[in-house]
Amino acid sequence: MLSRNWRHLCRRYSQAVTFRTTEASPSQHNENQIGLFYTMEEAQCKQLFGSGGLPKSFMKQTKTFTETAIMVRQPALDLINCIKASDMNQPAIRYVLYGEKGVGKSLTIAHLLHYAHENGYLIVHVPWVSEWLRRTPRHKEMANSQSREGFVDLPLDAAAWLLHFKNQNQAMLKNNELKTSKEYVWSKREMTEAGSSLAALVEHGINRVKYACDVIDALVNEIKILSDSKVCKTFVAIDGFNSFFYPMTRLKTPTKKQVKPEEVTLTTSFLEITKNDWSNGVIVVTADQLAVPEEHQESFLPRYLLFKKGFEHLDPFVPIEVERYTDKEFLTCANYYRDRLWLRGPTEIETELKFTSACNPYNFMIQCAPL
Amino acid sequence: MFQSGIKSFSLRQLLPATKLCVNYKNPLICASIQYSTKSVDPSKNVLNNLTDWETLSEKKKISKAMKAYLERAKEHDEFMKQQQIEYNIGKRHLANMMGEDPETFTQKDVDRAIEYLFPSGIYDPAARPLMKPPEEVFPARKAAEFDEAGRPHHFLFYTGKPNFFKLLHDAADNLQQLYNFQDKVIRKKATPDPNGKLELGSSLWLSKDQLEQVLVESISDLEYDNFKVVMERLAAFPYSYRYKDFIEKYRKPLVSQKFALEIPKPSYDDEGRAFVTTYECLRKDSRGDVTIRSPGTGKITINGKDLTYFEDVQSREQVMFPLIFSGMQDRVDVECNIEGGGPSGQSGAIRWGIAWGLRSFVDKDMLEKMQVAGILTRDHRRRERKKPGQPGARKKPTWKKR
Repeated sequence: MLSRNWRHLCRRYSQAVTFRTTEASPSQHNENQIGLFYTMEEAQCKQLFGSGGLPKSFMKQTKTFTETAIMVRQPALDLINCIKASDMNQPAIRYVLYGEKGVGKSLTIAHLLHYAHENGYLIVHVPWVSEWLRRTPRHKEMANSQSREGFVDLPLDAAAWLLHFKNQNQAMLKNNELKTSKEYVWSKREMTEAGSSLAALVEHGINRVKYACDVIDALVNEIKILSDSKVCKTFVAIDGFNSFFYPMTRLKTPTKKQVKPEEVTLTTSFLEITKNDWSNGVIVVTADQLAVPEEHQESFLPRYLLFKKGFEHLDPFVPIEVERYTDKEFLTCANYYRDRLWLRGPTEIETELKFTSACNPYNFMIQCAPL
Repeated sequence: MFQSGIKSFSLRQLLPATKLCVNYKNPLICASIQYSTKSVDPSKNVLNNLTDWETLSEKKKISKAMKAYLERAKEHDEFMKQQQIEYNIGKRHLANMMGEDPETFTQKDVDRAIEYLFPSGIYDPAARPLMKPPEEVFPARKAAEFDEAGRPHHFLFYTGKPNFFKLLHDAADNLQQLYNFQDKVIRKKATPDPNGKLELGSSLWLSKDQLEQVLVESISDLEYDNFKVVMERLAAFPYSYRYKDFIEKYRKPLVSQKFALEIPKPSYDDEGRAFVTTYECLRKDSRGDVTIRSPGTGKITINGKDLTYFEDVQSREQVMFPLIFSGMQDRVDVECNIEGGGPSGQSGAIRWGIAWGLRSFVDKDMLEKMQVAGILTRDHRRRERKKPGQPGARKKPTWKKR
């Protein structure tokens, strides 16, 4: 038994190609680590992505591999460098990640979130917009908005998101300087006074699901004000942002009327935060083909996916393309899979896999599964 | 000499000198005639000749079997002569019809003329009209197997298949000789020369039909299997080179590669890169062309897109197969224009195009391997039409009792 373990260890660590970096802090990553995997701490991963954020197939894989290893890739490094270099007093810069299906846009966001969390940003992260607008489980909770006429609330989704927000910013919310600027009256008996903490606001939204959407609206406003006044710096990450601009959602009101995305209160809140009328913040969104129906997936370019409206909403922004694996990245990934015994067999199969997956990370992962 | 399927009728009207003949393809018929003639009732002859002692003693020297054989041989010779004459006349007629010189009209011309005059859509070439010299149409017959006194020449005559069993006998004998030889070598403490082993990769054993033709005897499947077993054993022996001639006699070489001569020389583009373009890459309903450029990095362009043009893994595998098989995946660039059909047809067409183009860039050994692997072979299969009265090409309606 011992000798077998020994043999396994030897085989694992005697590989010619290094595929791992011990540098676990995203802010220390540089060009030397491109293509290498770093392991995220389990507790941190649970805190950041405990309620969504990593793609489902990747979550499955992390469970199998018993670690969350993310590859350091060029787009994430570029973005980190940009964030480091930019002037925080200027209006927030919008970054749009785009690329084909399965090239790692969401994982790039995950990498950036880790960076933001490490550097003390207040994180406003939407794991997947289509979860709200396009996914319709049998009992989707919908209600007409109390505060705004003709709008639709998604109270359960909103509360779930508030919980996500609370989990991600546990440390930040303990900071007593984060205070509301004005009084919010929810009903006759319920109100949040000016000067109460953000944590209390969030807590209210979670406890009183009915007002969750209004709480998010208030929260977004408060965050913008707080950032502007340099109390905190904010990192906004929205995955599948183009879903907000597709002409129709799959939601239907009880009267069978189709809902447009701009009629959902959540949409207005998150469109508000992606405007660049505030400073001391970073906004990263993705334009994803998977966030819209199949008939609108002909191109992966932002102009096509965001429509004219979304494009004008975000303009000016910095487009960053996430590309397929380069040869080096493919090699280290294959080595990583071999190390995890995810990929076995002769080394020649890597050539074939490179062809059949066309260096697409997702396809590569899926095709390795039965091998 | 005409032997034809449907068109024989009109042919007869055209060439009155010819006549229709039955083709004795099966030597068994000849053999049975041979052996059955022995039981011809001789009583009448004997009675007639009873008194004539002189003729009797004279006649006795020649056995009845021999006599019958001679008669048959004479008859056969006359028949063949007649056929030959008819064939020659027919050939002259044909030459005249085609407006060519009858003196220089060869068999090749005859075949061409027949194909022209009697175009046939019949699938099997053996069933199409033909005109061949009689030796080719009528199989060879065995010569007399016994002497004038009726005693067989061959020591295995009474096995019924003397030639076949002689072959087995010889093979077994050779095998025994080889065992003896091996004993001798071992006694001398020598080892067999590894280079001396017979190279049988480039040839095959004769098929059953071919063996039957060589032996002029019909053999059963079991007997053919026995032949193969014995010959395999002989050939597998380390000293089998001592009986090379014997073994080679029953093997035929594999079809030589004709296309090896027609490999195009690559042309050179502006950048000085060698390229070969294969036009008309066909498979199912897809058609296109494939260009291969030689110093390359393994870039594949299909209709302006890369390999993601095909969404399924199988099609991508099809495209990469010839490249990976020949180990050229990092050394050439491929450009394809393909249209029509679906993904499997398109990828199949590209696969053939790449393999066909790669011939100019690989060495001879690899070429042979590619040939054996079958990637140089066109796939001519097409969609089979749906038949009326049933739901698919072959599918029958569900059987229902009533």
